[in-house]
This record gives sequence, C-alpha cells and structure tokens, in this order.
Amino acid sequence: MSAESPTLEQTSGSVKAKATASTLSRVGKYTASRLITLFITVVIGVYLTILIANMGGYVDNIMRGEIREGIAMRLSQDQNYKNMAPEDRQEYVATLVTQEEKRRGLDRPFAVRSVGFLVNALQLKLGRAINMTSDSGSRLVSLIILERLPATLLLMATSNLILFFAAILIALSLSRRYGSFVDKMVVGLSPTSSAPPWFYGIFMILIFAAFLKWLPFGGMIDSPPPAEGLPYALSVLKHMILPVSALILSALFISIYNWRTFFLIYSSEDYVDMAKAKGLTDRDIERRYILRPTLPTIITSFGLLLIGIWTGAIITETVFQWPGIGRATFRAIGLYDTPVIVGLTIIYAYMLAITVFLLDFIYALVDPRVKVGGGK
Amino acid sequence: MSRKIMIVLGLLVVASMILAACGPAETPAPTAEPPAPVETDEPAAPAPTEAPTAVPTEPPFTTTRTGTWMDEVSMSVVDSGSAVTQISAGAIDIYGGNLATPQDLQAIRDAGLMNSEQYGLYYELTFNPSGPVFEGTGKLNPFAVQNIREAMNWLVDRDYLNQEIYGGVAIPKFLPISAGFPDYARYVDLARAVEAKYAYNFDKANEIITTEMEALGAVKNADGKWTYNDELVTLIILIRTDSDGTRVPQGDYVSNQLEAIGFTMDRQYKTSSEASPLWVLGNPADGLWHIYTGAWGVSGISRSEGDNFQFFYSPKSAYGFSPLWQAYTLSEEADVVSEALALNDFNTFDERRELFAQAMDLIVPTAYRVWLIDGKGFSPWKPGLAVSYDLAAGIDINPLWSRTLRFVDEAGLPIEGGTVKWGNSDLFVDPPNPVAGSNWTYDSQWQNATGDYAAMGNPFTGNFIPNRLERAEVTVLEGLPVINTTDWVTLDFAAQIDVPADAWIDWDPAAEVFKTVGEVYPDGLTAKRKSVVYYPSDLYNIKWHDGSNMSVADFIMPMIMTFAPGTEGSPIFDESQVGALESFKSSFKGFRIVSADPLTIEYYSDVWYFDADWNVAGMWPEYGYGNASWHMIAVSNLAEAANELAYSADKADALSSETAPVEWMSYVGGPSLEILAKFLDQAAAESYIPFAPTLGAYITADEAAARYANLQQFYADRGHFWVGTGPMILDQVFFVEKTATLVRNPDYPDLADKWLAFSAPKLAEAEIDGAGRVTIGAEAAFDVFVSYQGEAYPADEIDNVKYLLFGADGALIEVGEAELVADGQYVVTLSAETTGKLAAGAAKLEVAVVSKVVSVPSFAAFEFVAE
Repeated sequence: MSAESPTLEQTSGSVKAKATASTLSRVGKYTASRLITLFITVVIGVYLTILIANMGGYVDNIMRGEIREGIAMRLSQDQNYKNMAPEDRQEYVATLVTQEEKRRGLDRPFAVRSVGFLVNALQLKLGRAINMTSDSGSRLVSLIILERLPATLLLMATSNLILFFAAILIALSLSRRYGSFVDKMVVGLSPTSSAPPWFYGIFMILIFAAFLKWLPFGGMIDSPPPAEGLPYALSVLKHMILPVSALILSALFISIYNWRTFFLIYSSEDYVDMAKAKGLTDRDIERRYILRPTLPTIITSFGLLLIGIWTGAIITETVFQWPGIGRATFRAIGLYDTPVIVGLTIIYAYMLAITVFLLDFIYALVDPRVKVGGGK
Repeated sequence: MSRKIMIVLGLLVVASMILAACGPAETPAPTAEPPAPVETDEPAAPAPTEAPTAVPTEPPFTTTRTGTWMDEVSMSVVDSGSAVTQISAGAIDIYGGNLATPQDLQAIRDAGLMNSEQYGLYYELTFNPSGPVFEGTGKLNPFAVQNIREAMNWLVDRDYLNQEIYGGVAIPKFLPISAGFPDYARYVDLARAVEAKYAYNFDKANEIITTEMEALGAVKNADGKWTYNDELVTLIILIRTDSDGTRVPQGDYVSNQLEAIGFTMDRQYKTSSEASPLWVLGNPADGLWHIYTGAWGVSGISRSEGDNFQFFYSPKSAYGFSPLWQAYTLSEEADVVSEALALNDFNTFDERRELFAQAMDLIVPTAYRVWLIDGKGFSPWKPGLAVSYDLAAGIDINPLWSRTLRFVDEAGLPIEGGTVKWGNSDLFVDPPNPVAGSNWTYDSQWQNATGDYAAMGNPFTGNFIPNRLERAEVTVLEGLPVINTTDWVTLDFAAQIDVPADAWIDWDPAAEVFKTVGEVYPDGLTAKRKSVVYYPSDLYNIKWHDGSNMSVADFIMPMIMTFAPGTEGSPIFDESQVGALESFKSSFKGFRIVSADPLTIEYYSDVWYFDADWNVAGMWPEYGYGNASWHMIAVSNLAEAANELAYSADKADALSSETAPVEWMSYVGGPSLEILAKFLDQAAAESYIPFAPTLGAYITADEAAARYANLQQFYADRGHFWVGTGPMILDQVFFVEKTATLVRNPDYPDLADKWLAFSAPKLAEAEIDGAGRVTIGAEAAFDVFVSYQGEAYPADEIDNVKYLLFGADGALIEVGEAELVADGQYVVTLSAETTGKLAAGAAKLEVAVVSKVVSVPSFAAFEFVAE
C-alpha cells in the first residue's frame, strides 16, 4: 500500500465523518423543514382562530349594535340628554359611538385588524383586551392569562397527572390479568367516560355539597379566606377535591381501557411470552418488554397532556366557579374579545408546535429504530 | 355473575344520564350584559331626599350600636343556578343578585327561604313596520299594517303567559309604563281602560287580521294557511334564548297563536348579539325578521315614565340611530304629545294627565310594540336574616342593604354582630375607580356599602330621604308643575331665578380656578331651578376610612372633577369625557358655597323634576362611580396627569401602545396600586395641595400632610386605596379567588337602626264587599277594606282609593274615588244614573288603592249581577 493510500483507520474515520456530516445534514434539513412546516401550521391555525372568533368580520356588526344599544340605554337615563335639542342629541350620540368604535378598533376594516392580530400574536405581543380585564383590573392580555394560569395549572395538573399515571399503572396491571373481574369491570365502566367531567361535577356537588355538606359547592377558597400559609393551602385543597375528582372520574375508566388495550397488544408479543417462559418477574417484563417499546406513545401522550393542562376545562371550571383559564376563555368568547382569544390560542399553538417538534427527537432517543428525518 | 354486574352497572349509567337530562338546564355563566350605569343629571352628587315617611314595620327597637348590624360581610361568587341550594346548605346566607323565573321562586319557597320581590325585566313584542312588501325580499309583511299590529293585543293572552311561564307572580302588561311605578298609580283609570280594551279576544284578533290580510291581497290555501302571490306567508320571529330564558316559551306561544290563525312561522332562536345586528342595526326593509321578543330592564323606581312613549315609539328616541326606530311614523299630534311628555313640557298635572290620555289614544294603538308582561325578580336569603330591598332595584344595587342587613331573633328583633356570607354572580368585573371605573352592579354592591350619600332613595317610592342633609330649599320657575310631598324640603316658585354673578359655572384649566357667572355671562344668567342645601353642623366630624375628617374641600373637588377631565388644556384631559361634560353644561347654571361651616351650597340648573325632593342638589364627595376624598383624588390625578394611569378605559386604550401599556386605573388592585403608591409618596413629600389656586383657600399644608400620612397608613394596613365614609370598610380583597370582606366601620356616626323603617314595603291589601245583585237604575254601595298585615291601613298614608266600574262587555263605564269612612275603610257609591248605564248581566267593580308610602298600587275586584 502506498503512503498516499488511506489506512483502514483513516477510511473508517472518513466514513464516520461523512456519516456524521450526512446525519447532521439530514437532521439540519429535517429541522429546518419541520420548523417551517410547524410555523406555517401555527400561522394558519391562529389566523383561522381569528377568523372564526370574529365570524369572518361579522362580530364587528355585533359590536356596533352593542355599542349603540349601550349608549342609548345610558342616555335614556340622562336628564341633560333629554333636554337637548333633537339635532344636538343625534350629534352627541354620534360622537359617543365614534369614540367607542375607535376604542374597540372598529374604525379600521376587519381585514386590516385581523392581519394586525396575527402579526402581533406571532411575535407574542399579546396587547390589551377589548372588554375584559384581569381579576386585579388590568387590560393586559398577558396579565389576564397569567393571573388565571396558577389556578388552572393547579387543578388540571393535579387531576391530569393523577389520571395519567393511575391509568397507566392500573392498565399495565390489567394487561396481565386479562379477563379478570377487575378487567371486566373496567371494560364495563368505560362507557361512563362518555359523560363529561361537568356532568359528574354536578352530581358530586349535589351529593357532597348540597346533601352531605362535606365539601364546598365551588370556588377556590373559603369566604372569608383563611390566613395565608397552611390554613390557606388546606382550604384550597378542600375546594379542589370535587373538581379534581370529577375530572379524574370522567376519564379514568376509558383511559385505563385504552392503555390496557394498548398494553395488551404488546404483552401478547412473542418476545413477552419468551420472557415469561424464561421466568422473568412481572416487573421486569413490564419494564423491559412492554413499557419500553410503548415509550414513544406514552411520551407523546404525556407531552400533549402537559400542554393541555394549561388550557383549562371551560365548563368544569364554570360549574365549580374555579377561577382558571377555562372560564377566562369562556368569558372572552362571550365578549368577542379577540386579543384574549388570540393570546390564549397563540400560546397553545406555540407550545403544541414545540412539543411536536421535540417529540420527533425524543422518539429517536428512546427508540433506536427511529431516525430523525429518516424514518425507521 | 360478572355479566349481571355489568348489566346492573350499565343500567345505573343509563339511569344517571336520564336523571341528569331531566334536571334543570345548565345555567350559563354570567353574561356580559352590563347594567345601565348610575347616571345623574347633577355633576357628582346624588340628588337628596325626603324625611323618612315610611311607617316602621319592625317591632320597636333601640340600640346604641352605630354603623352596620353586622361585624363583617364576606362576599364571594356563586352560580345563580345553585344560589338557593347553597343557602339551604349553609354555604352562603344571602344571594344579592336577581333570580327571575317561577322555578326560582318555587325553589325558594320549597326551601323555606325568605326573598325580596322586585320589578325586573318587562317583556314585549317588537314588530317590523316596513312594507307591506319588503323591498329586500318581495315578501309580504302583515305588520306594516297598524290594525294587524294592534290586533296582536287581542291575539295574546297575557294571563296565560303569566300563569304558564311566570307562575302567576308577574303582571300582565299593556302599556309602556310599569305597573309598579307611580305613573301607573296616578293614571290607573286610564291604564285599566286600555287593559279592558285589549283584553284577550282571539276571535276578534282573527277577524281583524283576516280582513286586513285579504285587503293586502293575501288568501288562505286549502290547508288554511295564508299565502301571498302563491307563496306561504312566513313570519320570522326572533326569539331570544339568553337573558332569563323566559322569552323562549313566550316566543313559542306567540308563534303558536299566529300559526293558529293561518300563518307559517319561522322561529329563529338567537342570543342578544346574534339578534341585535338584525333588529337594531339592520334595515327593516331587508325583510330578515317580522317579530322580535324584546325585554327591557329597570334599575330603580322611576318617578316619571312619560318619556317612555318617545323612547319606544318615536324616531326621536335615544334609539333613533336605529333604522327600526327611523321607520316609526307618529302623527304630528302624537309626536307633539310624546315630545311634551319626554321634556316635561306642561304646566300642570292635569295637563300631564291629559297628555297621558292622548298618548294612550294616539301612540299605544300604533302598536309598534305590544306589551306582554311586567316581570318580577327575587333575591333569596336564609331565615333568621333580614334586609331591606328596593321595589325595583332589589338588594344589591340598593345602598340600604348594608345598613339594614342583620340577623334577627325569633321575635324579629335585630341581633348585633356576626358575619354574613354573601353570594352574587360576579365580583370585581372592571377596575374600580370613582371617576370612570367599574359600573357593574357586582361592584356597586360593595361600593355602596363603603360609600355614603347626601340622600338615600326611598326603596318603596323612589323619593329621596335626607341622610347627611339637614334641610333644603327649592325654587322653580312659576308654571312648572312641581309638587312637594316632603317635610324636609321647602318649595317656592319665582317668576325669574337669577344666578348670582359670583357663582361658579365653568373651569379654567390653566389658572385652575372656576370661572364665575359674572365673567362668562356679563349680562346675567337665569335658571329654571335653584336648590339650596343645608348640611348639619357636625358634618366635618365624619371620618374617612383612613381616619381623616371630612372637610369642605371634599365637596369642592367633585365639582372640579366634573369639569377638569372634559376640559381641553387640563393636565387630566380625557377626550372621552368631553361629550358628557358638554351635555352637563347644556343645563348647568352654576353653584356657590354660601357657607363653608356649616356647609350651605346653592345650585342652579335648567333641569327640573316634578318632585321637589328630586330637585335638591345634595352634593357629596361622590364621583359617579364611588365616593372619594380630595386627597385620594389628588393622588390619582397625579398618576393620570403623568399618563401612567387613566381613569377611563377609553383614555387607557388611547394612551397604550404595544410596548408601553397604560392601565385603566384601579383603586383596589393590580398594577395600578404600585403607581398610586408612588404618587402618594410624592404627594406626601410635597404636602401637595391639588388645584391650589382654588383648593388652597380650603386646605392647609399641614392638613394635606396629615391626610397623606393617613392614606399611607391605610394602604399599609389594607393594601388598597378604596377609602369611603360608608358604614363598611373594604377590608380584604382576593381577586382571582373572587372574594372580598367588608367590615363594620366603627367611626360611622349613625345608629344601626336608622333605616329599620324600611324593612319591608307596606303593600296594601284591598277587599270589596257588597251586594251580589244590583238593580239597574238604583243606587248601590260597596264597602272597601284596606289593610296591611291584618291591621287597618292608616288613612293618612293613602293617597287615594279609586274605583272603576266595568260593564258586562268589559268596557269601562265609570271611574271615581271611594269615600273614606275610617282608617282602612272606604265606601264606593254607584249612583242610580251610573247603574242605569249597566246592561243586564255580570258587571265588575274594581278598586285601586294608591299608597303614599309604597309606589305599587293594590287592586281588588268584585263581580256582581246587574238586573
């Protein structure tokens, strides 16, 4: 071999370098295309939200009507207004209407405003609400959301995390006890999840608040509120019991059923039977042969759960008077408060996009069969 | 075995779902239907009032306790749908909001709770008068024909609606005035005549409508359906699904009635926001609707409803912006009548009565609206609790709630102390500030407990009662039909009322001084009304919640703030306030501090009312959206002038940018507090005297320093800036948790029993007794008994007892006054001539008892046979 000829080591290094470069290139291209795709998806999603929330601009008409009606009702009680000459009255009303329309941005066409909403939203400039204020009195959309976020996180995280892990653990166990009484009971009870959490909430309120008087009807804390610290925390905890239970109960059996069915597929694989035949313990079988191959699905589910936590539960929060994001969303929709609706949507959209983006990489980390940008 | 268990479980699930489906519908979350703001014609102070004339309805009771009976009121947000259940379960003690359906009332009764009963929404049908053929669709619109609209009065059985939808607790309505308010009592004979005229008569309605439809060229097809140009005549009815929900069965009933006479109905169920662009903003000629199920609210007892004729029927209405109102055409005569009633353009009450009679003859039959029901609202509380309520506003808007709320023993006597758990549908909706802050009832419920007033509204009559006034003098131009029913106001008439040259009439923002009448009107100025109010000598002993004593500057500051925000060149100029100021200035003629101590204030205006007490301008440190001291306003003005906060939402929006938002000012929470605290420190450091060229004459630097120090301490203790003089102090606020606590103000000067006389409305109970048979052409007499809770109703509390005689055909034959026999006893004598007008058959005698202490008239009827 000549001195110029590459050694095996060099060749191997070169191949590795080429492979690395190729991988980086593939990952880079994938990352770029994925980011662009996700961004376009977010743009389309948010703009559709703006269009839907404004009924394609028809909400402008609704707001114009509300403005005029509100002003007319107010002036009907104003003796000074009544004493004005008819033409002065009309001029006065016109002035007030113009001011309010300007304040709400109705002096500009919806098409222009919708683009403004979109551009600001994409830059996370959440701006000011049109009608809503935060609980402490601020019009800043960011504050409206931030004030409600802790309450929603507390409620939704508690219920969803308990639900998630309980469902997986019970399902794992049931997947190995197929056909047992408990398994059949779970299957039998799974249709109960067709009822939403607020449905259970109403029943639980009637039983535990109205009849037994053990727990509060709703709200987040006793009134008057106890002193801060442990009494405050215990009061919050007491108020969480019913909504958390309703959220868990409404989805528990169907979640267990879903996971149990999912795990059943994996637990009937040949390699699991082989492991059983080898005498491995149930725990080892669950961990190495069932959980591991299902990890991407579990992680996906968990990731989506985490971002779902912050959106709140609109009707359940309303039933329990829980001061969370869900109720804020409900109110914003009722008031056609586009900045708030867009603010809530854009944050969710970005979180969803980031989660989806990261999951692709996480799949590759936890499952050797997966290559980023290269398929299996 | 397991299969059986599965079946049982499955059945349980199905049963629970069916049970749930049978339960009450989910109550919608509080909707954004803001109440009408509390507007006054006066700059910043509510008009004062009458000496308490209501007769005590509570057992005699004396106490040395001042302020409120309660030590504390804890407010929280509860869903209206669960309010009764929550009270029954002990979760709350009282629900301050309004429950409106008969199911609510039944639930209250079933649970054994107490409740208020107030006039709430009133309902009507609004018709599209365009046509008779819509330009937009070419379809027929029968409601373009006045006779068809009017015939709707006979087609609708209001008693049926009342019984079926409102459980019989509401009142059938035929006119644009409320059956519970003074104008109805004044003109009850006119009203009853209209009601007799429009009594339910399906056949008559069908006959009239058939005649008119045929005249329009419509014909009935083989199915008995009206057709026009070979197409079915389809009527679009917009049925509101939101609000209290009762308009759905109303709309369905009306649709059924119209279907029964051959119309094809298109029932469109819509919310307010969906319907508004169609019926309010839409062009009626587009033909997108024929009937709208309307409802209107009241926020207090209205002493005069004469302007309702213009409001509901004339293009000159405040709704005149709407194409629908522009489509209304009143005859020239009707227009004059509606204008005269709207502007109080009459000289005597007889003239006014004549105008009402004309309005009922000329305007009501146009039937652009057909009135259906005067609704009622209810607020429940648990037994063992008592509270005063307003016959129109209910509990939460009525400032008396905090002054009368109390636990009571079995004998009904007040128990001192305790904590009441108060629920309502919302709390802290918008930022509270006294100049242009939140005007939601949910916020006014705690604001009116923390504030005080020069005069309080009588919750049963709508008159005023002095609270911080000693007496008042009112002078109005001769010829104005003003009457005085109080003993604390003296009423005079004058041929001309000259405004003194030194009275203040406008504001100079640069010099920060008031302009005088002499400067602005060198040739002199006159007014239609003059009010002089005399405050008690101990006025300045009243303390603000931060411990500062009230002073004359607290009374001048509101007047400055009436002008400064709306006057260009002012450091706190707010463009959105210009219109309101111009409106105010159009009738304001000046005011003058006649004496600073004891305080006496003269006030001149062209706005007048026909109750003397309503003409009293009882000024108070009230800014329209709450009480405030001059020193707190000084601090918030500094923040406003620096553009760091804004009183109004409009200005906050105008000043805000993406990078530099300016908050709508809140005295109780949020980012505003830090900014206000900063300017408070600045004011304290400088012993700042606001508007010094004016207020410098009334405030010393030492007083300013002491006040700011008090405010700093208050802020340190309570964490907010809501400082009033009312009987309760806002103690703790939890915004996200939506709870607040109010505690008793230990410095409040009045005894707790001051308002006990207004515990319950003294609604008269009437009964008629007499012969069951009357000979036509012979004199007949009937006894009328008027009582309250079994006791004779004192004659000096009765304004009048009218009788109305109806013939066999329901037509009104005679109206007269019953004669007083003794307390609670009257006699109606029908002369031989009168009975001679009766046809043989059943006749009806009705009496209407009008009380002086309650605005709601009482009725009784007696049927007899004329032969």
